[in-house]
Amino acid sequence: MKNKKVFFITLGYIALVLFQATVVLALDGNEILRRVDKNMQPESYEMYRKLINIEPDGSKKEFVLYTVKKGRDKMVALFLAPASEKGRSTLRLGDNMWLYIPNVGKPLRITSLQSVVGGVFNNSDILRLDYSVEYNAQQISDKGDTYMLDLKAKTVSVAYDRLKMQVDKKTLLPTTIECYAISGMLIKSLHYTKIKDFGDGIVRPSMLETDSPLHKGYRSVMIFAKVKKKELADEVFTLNYLSKVDELR
Amino acid sequence: MRFSPSTTCLRLMSCDSTGQYFAWLLSCLLIISPALLYADEEFSFELEEFEKKTLEWGGYAELKWEHMDINHGSAFARLNLSGQPISTLDRFGGSLQIDGYYAKGIISFNWLFKASAQQDDLGWADMADIYKAYVSIKPAPLFTASLGKKLYRWGKGYAWNPVGFINRPKDPNDPEEALEGYTTAEIDLIKSLSGPLQTAALTAVILPTWKDVNENFGEINNINLAVKLYLLYRDTDIDLTWYTGNSRSTRYGLDFSGNLEPNFEIHAELAYIPSQKRIILQDAGSSLIRETTAFSYLLGLRYLSKNDITTIIEYYHNDAGYTEEEVARFFQFVADGENQFLASGSDVLLKKASEMSLKGYGKPQPGRNYLYARFTQKEPFDILYFSPGLTTIVNLEDKSFSIIPELVYTGFTNWELRLRFSYLNGGTSTEYGEKMNSNKLELRVRYFF
Repeated sequence: MKNKKVFFITLGYIALVLFQATVVLALDGNEILRRVDKNMQPESYEMYRKLINIEPDGSKKEFVLYTVKKGRDKMVALFLAPASEKGRSTLRLGDNMWLYIPNVGKPLRITSLQSVVGGVFNNSDILRLDYSVEYNAQQISDKGDTYMLDLKAKTVSVAYDRLKMQVDKKTLLPTTIECYAISGMLIKSLHYTKIKDFGDGIVRPSMLETDSPLHKGYRSVMIFAKVKKKELADEVFTLNYLSKVDELR
Repeated sequence: MRFSPSTTCLRLMSCDSTGQYFAWLLSCLLIISPALLYADEEFSFELEEFEKKTLEWGGYAELKWEHMDINHGSAFARLNLSGQPISTLDRFGGSLQIDGYYAKGIISFNWLFKASAQQDDLGWADMADIYKAYVSIKPAPLFTASLGKKLYRWGKGYAWNPVGFINRPKDPNDPEEALEGYTTAEIDLIKSLSGPLQTAALTAVILPTWKDVNENFGEINNINLAVKLYLLYRDTDIDLTWYTGNSRSTRYGLDFSGNLEPNFEIHAELAYIPSQKRIILQDAGSSLIRETTAFSYLLGLRYLSKNDITTIIEYYHNDAGYTEEEVARFFQFVADGENQFLASGSDVLLKKASEMSLKGYGKPQPGRNYLYARFTQKEPFDILYFSPGLTTIVNLEDKSFSIIPELVYTGFTNWELRLRFSYLNGGTSTEYGEKMNSNKLELRVRYFF
C-alpha cells in the first residue's frame, strides 16, 4: 500500500515537472523569437535594400528599396530603382497593405500574397513585420549550435501558416527559415547570411537568399544596407503620406 | 558593399591527420555550401548612386502602333470620318513623359510634362502639356500645403470614381495613365491616433476657374472648394468628400474599402448631387439643360485566387448618364446629319452632332449602367514578369460590350511591352455598336529612364 502511494506521488511529481518543462520551453521559444526580432532591427529605423531576382538562365533583375519601420506593425517601402518602378511605395499597417503608383495617384489595397516585384519575393517578404507579431513559437528543439523553432501564424491573414526557424544560439539571429502553407507544403526557404555590423549596436545578417520548390531554378537575393535607427512620426505611416515618402531620406 | 564566395576553407587543407582532415573537409563543405550554390555570382550594392539628391527626374518614352477596322455606318465613323471612305486605320505615335522634383529643406517643386504626336491615315496630330507643376511646403509630417497644378484621384473605384468631384475623368481601358491636373491651392492635415480610429486626414482644395485657368472644369470666374476627410477606422478606409462652388453644382460623396479576407477586397462609392445639370438632345435637334437629383454609385471587389489570378469587378450606376433612348436619339441625329450632307452638301446637323458629342454623348461610357471586369494572371507557366490579362466593359442597358485581351511583359529592365486586341460588339444604336472602329490591335513599347 505504501509502495503504491509512493508510486503515485512520484508519478504526479514527474507529470508536474514535465508540464512545467513544457511551459518553460514554450515561453523560451517566444522569448527567443522576441530576441531574434530585437537583434534583427531596432524599434524604429530606416534601411536600404536591393532585391535581385535570378532566373534559371542566370539573367537578373534588380530592385532597390528605401524602407522605414516604426513599432511592431508600421512599415513603408519606396522603390528607388529600376526607373520603371521608381516612386512606387507600399504601406503596411498591421494586416492592411496598400500600393501607391505615382501615375495612378492613389493608394490601392493589396494583399500579402501578391508580389509587386515578381519572382520569389512577395509583399509580405518585402514588408515583413516582426516575427513575434505574426507567429507563436509552438515548439523549440536544441540542435547543438542552433535552436529550431516551430512557429505557427497567429491569424489566417499571415502569408505563411508555419515557419521552421533555425536560430544561431550565440548571436540569436536566424540562419534558415522554411515557410509552409496551411496544407503543409513548403513554399520557400530563406537563408540569412553575411552578418555585418551596421553601427549603433546593430549587428545582423546583411543578405537574405530565397528559393522556392514552386519556382524551381528561380532565386531571389536581398542585400541590406545602411540599417540605421531613425525617429519617425506616426503620420508617416498613412495613405496621405505615401506620395511623400522620398522626403524622409 | 561587395560579396564574393568564401575561400576561408582553403587554408585549412594543411591538417595532417586523416581524421582531422576529413572533419575539416566536412566543415568546409558545410560552411561553403551556400557559396558553392552561388559561387558563380557576385552581388554588389553601391549605395552612393541611390543617395538622396536635391534634383530628381525620370519618365518614359513610348512608341505605339495601332491598327483599327472601321465600323462602317456607325455614328462615330460618320462623325469622325465624314467624307473619307476608309476601311482600316493605321496609326503610329510616340510620347514622352518627364516627371521630377527639386527639393530643398521643407519646400519642394514637383512637375510632370507630357508630349505626344501621332500620324495616321487621316493626318498628323500632336500635343504638349504640363500635367503637374506645384510647390509644396511641409513643415511637419502632419501638415502639407501646396500651390500649383496637381491631379486628384479621389475615390476607391478602379475604372470609375463617382465621388471624384475634382478628378479628371479617366479612361477605364487605361485607368492607370497620368492625367492633366487642375491649378489649386491645397492643405493636407494628417493625424495618427490610437484606438479603432487609426488615422484621420483632411484635404481641403481651393480650385479657381478663370480664363486660361481650369477653364474646362466648369463655369468660369468662380472660386470652388473641395474637401476630403479620410478615416482609417479599424481596418476600413473611409472617405467623405464634398464639393461646393458655382462652377459645378454642390455634391456629396462617401466611399469605403476594406478586406473581407486577406485576398478579397471590397469597395464602394456613393455620390449625391442634389442638382445635376445634363445637356440633352431633343428630337428637333435642339438641346436643353435638364436639372435632376442624381445618386450615382459604384460597387466593386478585388480577389486574388490561389493560382495568382487577380479579378477586379465593378458595377457602376451613373444617374447623370444618358438613358438608352437618349443615346439612340443622338445616334439617329448623326445618321440624319449624314443624310443631309449627302443630299445637300450641308453639314449643319453634323456640326451640331459633333458639338453634342463633345458636350457628353461622345465621352467614354456616356450611359447609366456598366459592368467592368478585369482578370490578370501573374507569371503563368513560370514566365517571370509576364502578365496576360482580359478586360471587359459591358453597357448593361443596351448589352453592347468591349472585350480586351492583352499580354504584358516587363522582363527587360526598364522596358514594358504590351500587346492588346480590343473587340467591340453591339447592335445598331448601341454604345459599342456605334463606335468608330469594330476592333483595334495595339502594340505599345515603353522605355523608362
